[in-house]
Amino acid sequence: MKIQEKLREIARKLLAGGEAGVVIGYAAGSEVSRVVPAFISREEDVDRLVWNPLCINNLVKYLLDYRHEPGKVAVVVKGCDSRAIVRLLQDNQISREQVIILGISCPGLINPDLVAARLDPEAQIKAVTTSEQDFSLQTEREIFTFTRDEALLEKCRYCEHHTPVISDFIIGEEIPPTTPLDPFTAVKALEELPVEARSAYWDKQFSRCLRCYACRNVCPACTCRECIFDQAEPCWVTKANNLSENMAFHLIRAFHVAGRCVDCGECDRVCPVNIPLSLLNRKILKDVKELFNVPTPGTSLEELPALGIFTNSDPDEFM
Amino acid sequence: MRNCQCINPLKPYPATIIKIIDETPDVKSFQMVFDNPAVMENFRQKPGQVAQLSVFGVGEATISITSSPTRRGILEFSVKKVGMLTSALHRLEVGSKVGIRGPYGNHFPYEVMKGKDLLFIGGGIGLAPLRSLIDFVLAEENRGDYGKVEIIYGARSMDDLCFKYDILDRWPQMPGTTVYTTIDRAELGWEGHVGFVPAYLEEINPSPENKYAITCGPPIMIKFVLQALEKMGFADDQVITTLEMKMKCGIGKCGRCNIGSKYVCLDGPVFYLSQLKRLPPEF
Amino acid sequence: MKAYIMTGDNLGAWLDTLARDFTLIAPVKEEENVILFKPVKGFAEINLNYTNSTVSPKGWIFPQTEEMFYFSTAGGQINLTDVQAPRPAIIFGLRPCDIKGILTLDPVFNGAYPDPYYQNRRENTILVGLCCTRVERHCFCTSMGGGPTDGRGADLLVTEIDGGYGLEALTSRGEELIHRYQGYFTPDQHSRVILAREELGQKLAGQFTRTVDTTGVKEFLDQNFELPYWDEIARRCLGCGICTYICPTCHCFDIFDFAPDGERGVRSRCWDSCMFSHFTRMAGGHNPRPTQKERVRNRFLHKLKYHRDRYDLDGCVGCGRCVTKCPVNIDIRQIIADLQEVAQHA
Repeated sequence: MKIQEKLREIARKLLAGGEAGVVIGYAAGSEVSRVVPAFISREEDVDRLVWNPLCINNLVKYLLDYRHEPGKVAVVVKGCDSRAIVRLLQDNQISREQVIILGISCPGLINPDLVAARLDPEAQIKAVTTSEQDFSLQTEREIFTFTRDEALLEKCRYCEHHTPVISDFIIGEEIPPTTPLDPFTAVKALEELPVEARSAYWDKQFSRCLRCYACRNVCPACTCRECIFDQAEPCWVTKANNLSENMAFHLIRAFHVAGRCVDCGECDRVCPVNIPLSLLNRKILKDVKELFNVPTPGTSLEELPALGIFTNSDPDEFM
Repeated sequence: MRNCQCINPLKPYPATIIKIIDETPDVKSFQMVFDNPAVMENFRQKPGQVAQLSVFGVGEATISITSSPTRRGILEFSVKKVGMLTSALHRLEVGSKVGIRGPYGNHFPYEVMKGKDLLFIGGGIGLAPLRSLIDFVLAEENRGDYGKVEIIYGARSMDDLCFKYDILDRWPQMPGTTVYTTIDRAELGWEGHVGFVPAYLEEINPSPENKYAITCGPPIMIKFVLQALEKMGFADDQVITTLEMKMKCGIGKCGRCNIGSKYVCLDGPVFYLSQLKRLPPEF
Repeated sequence: MKAYIMTGDNLGAWLDTLARDFTLIAPVKEEENVILFKPVKGFAEINLNYTNSTVSPKGWIFPQTEEMFYFSTAGGQINLTDVQAPRPAIIFGLRPCDIKGILTLDPVFNGAYPDPYYQNRRENTILVGLCCTRVERHCFCTSMGGGPTDGRGADLLVTEIDGGYGLEALTSRGEELIHRYQGYFTPDQHSRVILAREELGQKLAGQFTRTVDTTGVKEFLDQNFELPYWDEIARRCLGCGICTYICPTCHCFDIFDFAPDGERGVRSRCWDSCMFSHFTRMAGGHNPRPTQKERVRNRFLHKLKYHRDRYDLDGCVGCGRCVTKCPVNIDIRQIIADLQEVAQHA
């Protein structure tokens, strides 16, 4: 809970001194396994801020809502989320001066379904300890321990940046990069399949897409003023929900974020019908990395998106 | 409640454009006739109602019927080119095929208005829905039912005045009818009034006695017209307006034209000011 | 109301037969944690181990994309052709909340202008309900006037009982279905089915993790349109369509033409969402609900007030899907509770 206290302390100072107009962080949700994005602008509300292993949402995209507001905005980011800050900075969507980055050294998050399965939904988390082996959540009555093996959130198993890559404050002890699992295992397995099988796999996934656009709306690389999928004229993709239009949507979107996707995993999380969008985006991420020998997009401000720049050494075997 | 007699209210009837009038640089009036004479005969709209016009391959849009029901045998629609469907309509020619379904919505309370003077206040293309009632009231068979008719109409410029033939020639010659026309800014060749509609209304200062005021135009004009009418002593029940909302089905199902729990396509588009004031400000 | 009993084996055999005679739509496990209602060829494809499907089954009465008619403008003439009427269908395994969802949609697609597409499917679809056997943590049907064993609206209601299944015919159509396949059933002589269903209902009633009290909420909303509370909710809303698309009672749709060659095409309708910014935006740019605040408010007022104003029915059946799936934890149960609290302080 040290991180939570420290976070509140910094937020309080920022708001009291007028340095930030709002702090975007996490607050307790409607049940123990959920948190909600919280927008704290008054000192007396600072104690609503929480930090625990259920803080999965990437809050960075909310910065766009404050683009035209005066004053600075403070935002809580984990390592993975911090790459999204770099994304928005590189795309000139936000200015560095307007943002105060409250970086949290994140040891990994917990799968909320397991928490929901074991804890009373009305319970409140009073304290959290994480070790190399497990997470312990302490409620008013009990301590619930989950081993990392069983409970570590899938995306955290591939974590590249526990400590944010860009920040004004680092809260919690810096966690050096560990050796994660290979993020491309699933991509490679799919690549092994014959083309018909790959095609059938994606057909099945895309055919159940509802076209709710949650993946787009949550994505920190989706910042177009008017998305082509909302445009009536010209109509690139009709509103009809069928495999052809759904596939057009997903492939256009995947290519649009190619080389810019920061692999934060939010699209996977929000999809109501569990389409493995990360798998699609990671395939492109893998290709971009291999072709251009670049790190994961958003890793550093200096490293511009591979497909956003041109150098003479770019591969051109398709020419 | 139901006006449309079609078996399938979502399926339009084919119709043909028989005449196109260029009203302004971006407004055209289209006279249309259903291809099936029985459909034409059974289409009985009331002043203020709307229809859904189809350009097949492009889509549909809700357009008010600007011709009076007293004019049998054709339907007229005045359309400003603003979006995809209206642009497609503007590209059509005489003889082109379209689809029409309707009529939808409520209508101006022409029964209640009997024996009253009527004050019409329109701006730009906003005269189109009012025109169905004006021509209904001025039609020979109805004229005796209504008192004096005053029409205040304005547009940005001379070019932007719709229905020039009506406002400059035909209506002023009708018995008991006065037409006041204004344009926003002075220009060469215009000898009439210059200024915005709400200001002109205040200048004319019509008495609210035994009168209904019916207004339609751009939202900003309506806002100031309503204020002016209130100042002149018009009660909320004497003021009537007709609203424009994005609609798709026209029959209260697709869910987008609601203002609170009212659907503009079913419960509107015509509202008394007193009704509007009880609705949430989402229009 | 007549009740019947069937063995577990007979259920499978009966469903196999139904799949042969009708379009049989039933819950299918599409992926891990994804249950969808889909047409099946037989019992083997059906998954009965579910509480609520991921997406509501309303799409089988009101499809996400529905072709309305074909048009041709070739040769300067217009020809409109009706689409083929759907084959008679049976939806098997509807949970009580989803049956109530269909009852909630009925008046929307009826009224002064009956919607022929909806009516056609509705009349050609037999609804076979299935009582819940467990309550999930987001279920709150009892708070919205329903219940996990309240199958009103179904033609047939199935209840799991010891050693098999009980069936109750709630309509003449349900009765006819039983009659047609009578070899699979035996009449329930000792009211076993009703007793089992009532017992199950009582058992499940105590399992709801959260109940909400809607008393007075509509009346409060009648008087209070402007509430700063909606700003608070809207600020975190992503403006996606999840809640509206998985909802059993949302009915907004768009109509569009598709004519690749410019001459021959189809006019269809498809689900649309009041959460989308362009939903109400007019061609000229004016938008009566310009920000997410108005849009979020519209959705909750639709559920808690507007639907009651128009049809005297709650717009929410308490299935809990939006609670489960909202990525930013906009929880209608919490909203009802918060509105109660705001009302008390007003």
